[in-house]
Amino acid sequence: MESLITAAARALEAGDPLGALNRVALRNDAPSLALRGIAMAQLGDLAKAKTLLRSAARAFGPREAVARARCVVAEAEIALVSRDLSWPAKTLASTLAGARATLASHGDLANAAHAGHIEARRLLLLGRVDEAEGTLAEISVSPLPPASLVVRELVVAGIAIRRLKTRDARAALDRAGKAARQAKIPALVAEVDSANLILDTPAARLIARGSEHPLLLGEVERLATSTALVVDTFHHVVRRQGVAVSLGTRPVLFALARLLAQAWPADVSREALISGAFQARHVDESHRARLRVEIGRLRTQLKPLAEISATKQGFELAPRKTRDVIVLARPVEEKHAAVLAILADGEPWSSSALALALGMSARTVQRALEELARSSKVQSFGHGRARRWMTPPVPGFPTGLLLPGPLLKA
Amino acid sequence: MKRSAAEIVTEYGPFPGVEAVHGVTYDGTHVWFASGDKLNAVDPANGKIARSLDVAAHAGTAFDGRHLFQIAEDRIQKIDAATGEVLTTIPAPGGGGDSGLAWAEGSLWVGQYRERKIHQVDPDTGKILRTIESKRFVTGVTWVDGELWHGTWEGEDSDIRRIDPDTGKVLEQLDLPAGTMVSGLESDGGDRLFCGGGEAGKVRAVRRPRRG
Repeated sequence: MESLITAAARALEAGDPLGALNRVALRNDAPSLALRGIAMAQLGDLAKAKTLLRSAARAFGPREAVARARCVVAEAEIALVSRDLSWPAKTLASTLAGARATLASHGDLANAAHAGHIEARRLLLLGRVDEAEGTLAEISVSPLPPASLVVRELVVAGIAIRRLKTRDARAALDRAGKAARQAKIPALVAEVDSANLILDTPAARLIARGSEHPLLLGEVERLATSTALVVDTFHHVVRRQGVAVSLGTRPVLFALARLLAQAWPADVSREALISGAFQARHVDESHRARLRVEIGRLRTQLKPLAEISATKQGFELAPRKTRDVIVLARPVEEKHAAVLAILADGEPWSSSALALALGMSARTVQRALEELARSSKVQSFGHGRARRWMTPPVPGFPTGLLLPGPLLKA
Repeated sequence: MKRSAAEIVTEYGPFPGVEAVHGVTYDGTHVWFASGDKLNAVDPANGKIARSLDVAAHAGTAFDGRHLFQIAEDRIQKIDAATGEVLTTIPAPGGGGDSGLAWAEGSLWVGQYRERKIHQVDPDTGKILRTIESKRFVTGVTWVDGELWHGTWEGEDSDIRRIDPDTGKVLEQLDLPAGTMVSGLESDGGDRLFCGGGEAGKVRAVRRPRRG
């Protein structure tokens, strides 16, 4: 290849995007455009990077299929980093798969693997954990350059965290850390460090017998095998080992169950239940009637797990087959916690990508974002369809556990 | 024009720690190749790297009987082969778009990759003396027995071709197997042409057809 292109490519590989730009900043031939695109992406100007990579793909001749495929892969990665998840679904998934096949058939296994990792990361981000794992399994491992190894292990760790397998996650992050130091790319080392933080900062709060304390992810994992009756506010589920009652569509019943569980073994007064579950300021007779109806409904729902009995001043929970009742709650309780949890990864998201990842309607997400923005909990940039939302990562508010998905599915 | 399949006689490498071969030359004993931040001397008898010089080496390599010449970024470095010291540098004619390098008849010959050109350059000043047009992206360049050969690499295809130095007309063409790249070219003065293998990190010896 050419001298300056070689020099610029080597600078990029060594994590020096400015050095790369210095060498090809004024050139507009196809390989220079591609290198400039990747350098701009590394410097964080994703919009400019996308344009450059598009023109590079056009500028490469029809016989330069590998170079074209590399541009497609780079553009896909930019789409991933800018959380542009909606358009890759149809267009990109097929072009990315095509590019991956082209690279593999021309012996560029490292970049073919990179394309596969991008697909796995996208699936993981969308909460499609099994598919992400399947995609990862298709990628032949050896010999991967250290930087690719880091990405691979981060995906493995992400899958393990979402499945609450902290030991697997830790092992993967150890391997990622080793590979990152070998790659000598500071950004990768930092990414592994911040992933490690997820395991070392509280992921949840445990409330039992009137007191509460923070839980690490590993402790949440051990909780999955506990025999206690758990009121799980992440999934709006009441469960004991294999038996689970989902109250996801019954917010009032779930609120009552939680109030009763938090107070257990003490009872809860009617007034406290009414104001806590109905958000009523003044308690009147109609509220008391409604409480009787809702408690009756909850009693039916919880039958396999617990009994609810009336006391002199209110109601109390009596769990079956266990002597322990705990509430598993978010470290910080917020309205729109699910939206905040996704944004806590520090990356800019489009509202449509958020809706896709959360399985909510775009309008609901939009309303939540606007409300959060009014209280300065999130910020946006860009306009129209290019608008992106983000929040600085909150310490103690890790992304791993809070991303939607089957939290406690073994 | 004669056209035939290239006959690969020997393959050297891949070499430990070498990601790609960017340029190739021959000093009569060793085959030198550029690997980004090093110039490496390979013993063609056993295929092992005998010694390496720490010098920026991004594209073509040449040898004038005493010095090594090496393209780095947009310059051509003149290097003391014994010490690895860079003695002088001249600007490369392609301003960094340069690829192959050869020494012949007191001049340097530089391939300009995407421009599909070969420049004859004054080795002291870097002045372009004349320019030969090729039909393909030019990688390695070499002269042997008055024949001008150059490597091409366009798309996924590479070949080695002998061209008329006056008209640029292709006189003879050796096609490499699909997926085999030529990133540098040097004659051993006899019937072997050493070819850099690009990202494969190899150096190959291809038989030069005898004429007549």
